[in-house]
Amino acid sequence: MRRRGGFIGNALAAAAITAIGVLSAVPVHAAGFSIFEQGAKAMGMAGAFTAQADDPSLLFHNAGGLAFVSERQVSTGFTWITSTKAELDGANPFPGEGYHAEQEKLSEFPPHLYWVQPISERLKFGLGINAPFGLTTSWEDPNQFAGRFLSTKAALRAFDINPTIGWQVTDSFGVGIGAVARISDVELNRNIGTINPFTQRVVDIGKLNLESDFGTAYGFNVGILHKVNNSFSWGLSYRSKIDLDYEGDARLTQISTGNAQLDAALRAQLPFERDLPVETNIEFPDTASLGLAFALTQNLLLETDFNWTGWSTFDAVPIEFTGGATNSLPDAEIPEQWDDANNYRLGLRWTASPSTQWRFGYVFDESPQPEESVSPLLPDADRNGITVGYGHTGPGMGYDIALMYLDFEERTRAKSFPGEGAFFGNYNTQAVLLAFTLNW
Amino acid sequence: MFRLKTLAGVLALALILPLAAVPAAAVDTGNANFTRYVAIGDSLTAGFMSGGLGRTAQLNSYPFLIYRQATGLTTGFEQPLVSDPGIPAVLELKSLAPLTIGPKAGSGQPQNLTLPRPYNNLAVPGADVHDVVATVTDNGGLHDLILRKQGTQLQQALALQPTFVSLWIGNNDVLGAALAGRVIEGVTITPVAQFEADYKAVVNAVTASGAKMAIANIPEVTGIPYVVTIPFVVVNPATNQPVIVNGNVVPLIGPNGLLGPGDRVLLTARAELAQGKGIPVALGGSGQPLSDGVVLSAAEIATITARIAAYNAIIRSEATRVGAAFVDMNATFREVATNGLNVGGITFTENFLTGGVFSYDGVHPTAFGYAYVANLFLDEINDQFDGEIPLVNLHPFMFGPSSTTSPSTAAVEADGGILTHSAVRNLFWALDVKTKKPKKGHK
Repeated sequence: MRRRGGFIGNALAAAAITAIGVLSAVPVHAAGFSIFEQGAKAMGMAGAFTAQADDPSLLFHNAGGLAFVSERQVSTGFTWITSTKAELDGANPFPGEGYHAEQEKLSEFPPHLYWVQPISERLKFGLGINAPFGLTTSWEDPNQFAGRFLSTKAALRAFDINPTIGWQVTDSFGVGIGAVARISDVELNRNIGTINPFTQRVVDIGKLNLESDFGTAYGFNVGILHKVNNSFSWGLSYRSKIDLDYEGDARLTQISTGNAQLDAALRAQLPFERDLPVETNIEFPDTASLGLAFALTQNLLLETDFNWTGWSTFDAVPIEFTGGATNSLPDAEIPEQWDDANNYRLGLRWTASPSTQWRFGYVFDESPQPEESVSPLLPDADRNGITVGYGHTGPGMGYDIALMYLDFEERTRAKSFPGEGAFFGNYNTQAVLLAFTLNW
Repeated sequence: MFRLKTLAGVLALALILPLAAVPAAAVDTGNANFTRYVAIGDSLTAGFMSGGLGRTAQLNSYPFLIYRQATGLTTGFEQPLVSDPGIPAVLELKSLAPLTIGPKAGSGQPQNLTLPRPYNNLAVPGADVHDVVATVTDNGGLHDLILRKQGTQLQQALALQPTFVSLWIGNNDVLGAALAGRVIEGVTITPVAQFEADYKAVVNAVTASGAKMAIANIPEVTGIPYVVTIPFVVVNPATNQPVIVNGNVVPLIGPNGLLGPGDRVLLTARAELAQGKGIPVALGGSGQPLSDGVVLSAAEIATITARIAAYNAIIRSEATRVGAAFVDMNATFREVATNGLNVGGITFTENFLTGGVFSYDGVHPTAFGYAYVANLFLDEINDQFDGEIPLVNLHPFMFGPSSTTSPSTAAVEADGGILTHSAVRNLFWALDVKTKKPKKGHK
């Protein structure tokens, strides 16, 4: 893509070549951002719910639970995710000791809607709609942010439509199988910079905004729930990976460098202010969960869950510009090289009365992201979360509410993939999640 | 660790040091000691930038940055400072269209000539390895500015009883050939045996002084913008695209016939091209060949590259022999040329003017380039001597106030060159570039 000796005796071409060379580093990535909080009851126990799966959110947590549904239930709600801290402290060589930046306060409301319904004594049907993946990373003061040439804002939304069949094989053993249609879009924003030939310093020359349309792809999920006896049950759940292609447009908006000659040269070489057709792809990981639930007393239940997520599917993101000679930028492929990752969850359920439950939980969520790809686009980290929840079942209607405090361990980036540049520092993040689910 | 032998010595030092200069926090330099750090080298070590040696760039020289990072101090490391715009006056970009680069108005004056001891940065632009051990004066050139006729670089370095020495020398043993477009054994390019003898003499003497060392090798001088910027084919000035005739590009006419893809047209050729030289009559040129001095042939490049490899083998083995930190500049500059250096999403390349690594002379680094070089040294110094010296923060070098003022609106020196005639003349003077065989033998 970069042309050797391709300089034409005039700085104009070189300016453009450099600018385009920079564009090849367009980062996209989608991940670390599975959202496991898909129902207030489960969330109250930090998601340790695979071996219980006894409310309609079973459609997400373990389809095996559908087998045991005995009456029509509908539940709907949302999880409010807000960051209480999301900041970066720079390190040398770049962006440097003493550099500090903060993200915009996150405030997202991934919704959930579940409907479960017996068809016959042994056969059950369910339909779930939720948002199991999502991401928003948006930096304050984007035009001053030192990482603006990597990312100023990245956002991903993914909604699953998940029809499911459950079959109660025996009184104590149930299986479920579902189809998943995932609908998703992605948005990426960054600035483009080059070297100002007059000052020999970095200068912003444009903003690149890439927005995809909604793309759809399909997968499946299966689950098993075995209620061995009154004091022990186990469950196993699997959700397949989903390979999703996105199409959309990128748009490059010029920023004046303050030098008319340079601006004109760049305008002549770069496709400013045009829709540049672009394609990308994200391979969402598969996940497997194993849960064991023990009734400690008649009113006290303890569950431990182990989740595995196959994040190693996420090794690179291709960016392909398909607009031909005039409406195009150079293609790129962004290395990610994520690893499979595990979560460990512990939940405690106390049935205080026939109509009220208190729930408590703890989760350790291992980051799949290697240090080299920790960036302003998505600075992930190992997380520790503690939860408390409360549920009330009334005649005809009930509700669940849950609160989670999620602390990200400090994440240090001090090395890069070969050929990738330095953007070093420590990321510190804390989030609070509040979920509310209405059941009837 | 300190060489001061007596308590009195320590007290004397404490009294000399102004209180304000006491570093906030001690830097872990491992078993290297930068109390008396001396830099031996050439223009690259002197902080030469954009065709001149001036204060702004000298205070960004990699030795100064190494000293600052290793000690937390900005005083105590003396350099032969020259007021801006430097000697010669540094170049500036006068205009993009037409592309014109020429010296800034005015000239710099020496500011530190009366220092009653040798400078810590003894590097002399244009010095080759033989100069380090042999040259005391050059009759009014930059040697006289920096060495002040008080001894060779090596002698003055040893006189400072250095605790640490950085050595990056040998570039001018081949660079002159690249800049002058001529490979002349013994004149623009140093014979290997002589290089080896001189290089070992330097390393042995420094090692004998007890100083620890950091040693850098020689980058591919044929990869600098000065050499790689102008293509070997005829270019349509209106479109900046190669002229295509019958489906083919049209090679320029060189001193020995049509140029090939392995030949390089130097930045200095622009004036001749503007006159139509090198361009066939059918395409509006004069049909006259480009002169030998503005073309580096594939054969000359091969000679230079092989010679660098031979020098670098010597440098590496010397570094290993004495346990010096070894900085592989050759590999780094090759990486710049092939993939560029990415920092924070900006890719720095070897491109002239817009690459960010090379300054307006097409040979020497920018302020960013020098800071990056300092970090290469610091990485290897930390590795070799088990220290944790912090790297230079590149942020101000990328975004900070520019080291050059905005271009003057004064009339452009329009002589058809990218580098004006005076720019080239100054550069060759400063770097002591020989363009032809002298009548009597050099050295």
